[in-house]
Amino acid sequence: MRRALEEIRIEHLTKSFDGFVAVNDVSLTIKPGELYSFLGPSGCGKTTLLRMIAGFETPLTGRILLGNQDITQLPPYKRQVNTIFQNYSLFPHMTVYENVAFALRIRKLPNPEIDARVREMLQLVKMEDQAAKYPNTISGGQKQRVAIARALINKPKVLLLDEPLAALDLKLRQHMLIELMNIHDAVGITFIYVTHDQSEAMSISDRVAVMNQGNIIQSGPPDDIYERPASIFSAYFIGDTNLIPAEVTSIEEDYVDLKCQAGGQDSFEIDSTFNIKPEVGQKLTVSLRPEKIAVSRTKPTELDDINVIKGVIEDILYLGTHTQYIVKVGNLKFRVFDQHKRVYFDEAALDWEEPVWLFWHDTDSWLIDEVTPAGLDVGEINVFERPIQMSRGGKRIPRSE
Amino acid sequence: MNNSRHRNTFSQLEIRQVKKRNLQSWFLSMPSLIWLTAFFAVPYLIVIIYSLLVSDIYEVKFLFTLGAYREILSGAYFKPFFLSFRLALITTLFCIILGYPVAYLIARSSEKWKNILLVLIIIPFWTNFIIRIFSWRIFLSTNGMLNEALLSMGLINQPLEIIRTDWAVIIVMVYVYLPYMILPLYSVIEKLDFTLLDAAMDLGASERKAFFKVTLPLSREGIFAGSILVFIPALGAYIIPQLMGNQNSLYIGQIITYKIKNIPRNWPVASALSLIMLIIIAVILLTGFSIYQKRKFRRMDEAR
Repeated sequence: MRRALEEIRIEHLTKSFDGFVAVNDVSLTIKPGELYSFLGPSGCGKTTLLRMIAGFETPLTGRILLGNQDITQLPPYKRQVNTIFQNYSLFPHMTVYENVAFALRIRKLPNPEIDARVREMLQLVKMEDQAAKYPNTISGGQKQRVAIARALINKPKVLLLDEPLAALDLKLRQHMLIELMNIHDAVGITFIYVTHDQSEAMSISDRVAVMNQGNIIQSGPPDDIYERPASIFSAYFIGDTNLIPAEVTSIEEDYVDLKCQAGGQDSFEIDSTFNIKPEVGQKLTVSLRPEKIAVSRTKPTELDDINVIKGVIEDILYLGTHTQYIVKVGNLKFRVFDQHKRVYFDEAALDWEEPVWLFWHDTDSWLIDEVTPAGLDVGEINVFERPIQMSRGGKRIPRSE
Repeated sequence: MNNSRHRNTFSQLEIRQVKKRNLQSWFLSMPSLIWLTAFFAVPYLIVIIYSLLVSDIYEVKFLFTLGAYREILSGAYFKPFFLSFRLALITTLFCIILGYPVAYLIARSSEKWKNILLVLIIIPFWTNFIIRIFSWRIFLSTNGMLNEALLSMGLINQPLEIIRTDWAVIIVMVYVYLPYMILPLYSVIEKLDFTLLDAAMDLGASERKAFFKVTLPLSREGIFAGSILVFIPALGAYIIPQLMGNQNSLYIGQIITYKIKNIPRNWPVASALSLIMLIIIAVILLTGFSIYQKRKFRRMDEAR
């Protein structure tokens, strides 16, 4: 099934609906054979972008190139691009077999060839024994497989996946995610994956484009975006983070001194390495991932390249794999993830209202050249209308006496 | 205790409850049962009895015979039957062809427009049926608006003879029955998942192919329902052929009326014609319905 692969180039693509700009001057290149994700909250323009690549929407300006071919104005049925729709969109009046055969029947291929290829595709998605069933009698996961087989049978150069796992429950979603990766390996074509679920995008993608309000905020490999967010939005949307407003007080040879306002007269000082080149007096935001912070009731002895601040535990959420502490430092609330690894800190469980030390390495204070919106209380205010994840499945442990 | 035996025996209380429930359902369905008996079963019984009698000049003689059926089966009424079926078929066909795009348009309009358009479809019902047909007579007549318009535009040199032809009958039939086709079609198309069309086009189907492969098969139920609503009344049409048609092509509705109206009256043949019509319609309906059901069941069986 492998063949010459072609890259997709999107150049200055803009699309608006009734004055609302859905996609705003987006340019990007997707390498051949890549699994590329558009990630963003609903309404960020990711689906519109996908629909323009599929041919269901015509861009206002800009063009889309598949290899050297300009496909911007081609109707969907003339593009070597196939789509897996969010609700699968299987034809309810056709059997699984006929659904998969649809594209070949349209092309009027001879029956034996259709049969061979349909069997091959059904085998790829492990649905051979369900061929005679109708879509309304199979499960969500099976529908998903049929949709994949149906979209791949025409040997497209690019497969578009529009939130393909959104309708499945958690366990099935994880399972299908792995299957999708296996299928991507097996067919070797370019996949473009649209999702609002950051963990899906992180685990499946070669590269991710984080989108918001019609723009690509940042693109790159998932670890790059997670570890090196270029904006408050990417830091906040991908994973959990603490966003701390800070001001540069001095610049040393290999680190930056920062002063963080903690509300009222309170402030504390931290250091970071240079991921951007700030100036003295510049206001910026520090992104600090909760899992990079250690929490302990004893102050660490080794202080080289380590930031240490003092706080009080306000809340404890036991989440199984880790415990999440909300630690108050002045008026700021830090979220801290602590995995239950006794080999590191063998101390009795921390308690509510207990004074603790937070410490992390200088390189983990990640500088973002943006100022947090005024009055942002990091722990509580939901800047981007995304529910804070701390309450997800969390269970309070009873307060020990 | 034997479990299965236990299940099959009802306690006194259960029996009383079942009896009470049966009584209730009989009581509640009584009004419609009485209605159906008085205005459906009894009249048809009378028709059946009349069809077996012998005709007299004005009335009937109470002698039982199959004479009326023999007369009909000899083929004397083949032409009106044929004409009526042809008319019903053509009317249904035109209603589908003309009604489908309209239903599609309404179904894909915005909520606000949907309601406005649906009201526009229903508005003609507010005007008396006979008045509407007479309007068509004026409109289509030799010196009518249509001919004058066409003449003044220079499209024709002499007036078209439309009125009193089978075409005039068909035009008015389609006009009258079109809403009965549009409404069921609309209700099916409206529920259609239009992303299926995206899917079809994504898989290489042009707009036209996507329509014939996806939209049309999925609106089959609407076409079926609309066709029943149009075909059956069209089969027995009387007023429209009477007012728009000519006496050379008489439809079955007209024949039945003449058998009763004209002297000597022939009640038995009129009754027998009505009954044969009823049987034909019943056969068509049942066949159509069973094909439809079989398809549905086959689908479910295959799924199992």
